[in-house]
Amino acid sequence: MTDSALPTNSPSVEAPVAATKLAVRDLHFYYNGFHALKGINMEVPEKQVTAIIGPSGCGKSTLLRIFNRIYSIYPKLEAKGEIILDGENILDSRYSMNRLRSKVGMVFQKPVPFPMTIFENVAYGIRHHEKLSKSEMDDRVEQALRSAALWDEVKDKLKQNALGLSGGQQQRLCIARAVALKPEVLLLDEPTSALDPIATGRIEQLVEELKSQFTIVIVTHNMQQAARVSDLTAFMYLGELIEFDQTEKIFTKPGKKQTEDYITGRFG
Amino acid sequence: MNSGKDHIIKSYDDELTRLTGEIVRMGELAVTQLEAAIDVLERRDERAAQHVVGNDEAIDQLEHEISQDVIRLLALRAPMAGDLRNVYAALRIAADIERIGDYAANVAKRSIPLSMVAPVTPVTGLSHLAGLAASEVRDVLVAYRDGDHERAYQVWKNDVVLDEAYTGYFRQLLTYMMEDPRNITPCTHLLFMAKNIERIGDHATNIAENVWYQVTGEPLDKQRNKRDLTSSPEMTKLGE
Repeated sequence: MTDSALPTNSPSVEAPVAATKLAVRDLHFYYNGFHALKGINMEVPEKQVTAIIGPSGCGKSTLLRIFNRIYSIYPKLEAKGEIILDGENILDSRYSMNRLRSKVGMVFQKPVPFPMTIFENVAYGIRHHEKLSKSEMDDRVEQALRSAALWDEVKDKLKQNALGLSGGQQQRLCIARAVALKPEVLLLDEPTSALDPIATGRIEQLVEELKSQFTIVIVTHNMQQAARVSDLTAFMYLGELIEFDQTEKIFTKPGKKQTEDYITGRFG
Repeated sequence: MNSGKDHIIKSYDDELTRLTGEIVRMGELAVTQLEAAIDVLERRDERAAQHVVGNDEAIDQLEHEISQDVIRLLALRAPMAGDLRNVYAALRIAADIERIGDYAANVAKRSIPLSMVAPVTPVTGLSHLAGLAASEVRDVLVAYRDGDHERAYQVWKNDVVLDEAYTGYFRQLLTYMMEDPRNITPCTHLLFMAKNIERIGDHATNIAENVWYQVTGEPLDKQRNKRDLTSSPEMTKLGE
């Protein structure tokens, strides 16, 4: 197998066609003295789906969480390097957290709807950022629920408690909640791990629809899912970015032996 | 071809090994058929020729089994990268070997009417063509078995030798036909048989291209130096 043309030390790969939405420059991350991310360089293209795959402990979820600095709520965590979003470094302490979180939304593995009505789950976040009239808010909530392919299932029960929804519906509600704030980037951390195959399929279909509006980064341990939904795939191992390329290339002719071993089930 | 490591799930390796083995076995059968076809031609043995024709069914059956195995692998293992190319190539190579088997059976079939007319000299020339073709197929099967893309490339490149031999044989047959009209019927049969053998060589190069792709992930350059000139304009002038 021919070697990749990429250099071996955390290469920076330019997205071939789309503009870059998130540019990661020499990113290092430490927690409790552990060097969790080592010199990550990557360019996440705009309005495409970028998947991050790798074995447990490779740093993929850690990297995802840095994109909206959710680590800031925990002590003794440190990030060095830059992440440029629309020309600004989001790791800079002067970059407002509220502003970042309105631009970069996140959905977690376990659906965590608020213990409120379905309507309030979506409206709650909007209220913290914008002042809207009742009819404006109704429209916004409907729009968000439609974006998440959930409207038809819940339009007659918006006042019901969100905890009464199925797992798949709850996850779509969490996506609606995230898109309601009109972010530019959506981070999905193993969004379907807790869901059955049909619910998983619906979320994947939703990801395909949403990418026309948002830049999406998805972490998944399901390689088939990465192959199905993403345009680009990043393979990480032990805190390093080993390879980052078009998904089709990664899954048909990866440049690195480690990538090939992982995706063909020879890793270990 | 791959990193050389085993899959974590051992049965996956077993299935891929089995697939490779089936292809190799199918190819060996096809070569045996070709050699048997030439043998029955030289011995003018009609009964043996019928036997060779009947044996082609075993090759067809193997192709069917390989197709089933490929479908199963695709559905159940969702192969990626080198494994995916491996499975894809197996499907394509099986189809090429099946055609080689068909051509060998055709040669045997045509030897039957030939055995009913007086022998003509050019029959021995066909053995030479068949030897070249059998050698190509054997070589490319070794290349496939060993994941040796360089060897496959040599087969691909050297097919011109068979093409040139076929062109020469074609000329020879034309000469015999022009010399004596009684030669036309047997030489026409020989012409078809020679063409079948030349096509076997083409299928061997197809297999070579698939081996190359399987190992490297890149298509082999198709700027092959075509040496079968029988369809070129200069050939029509021979009869004038």
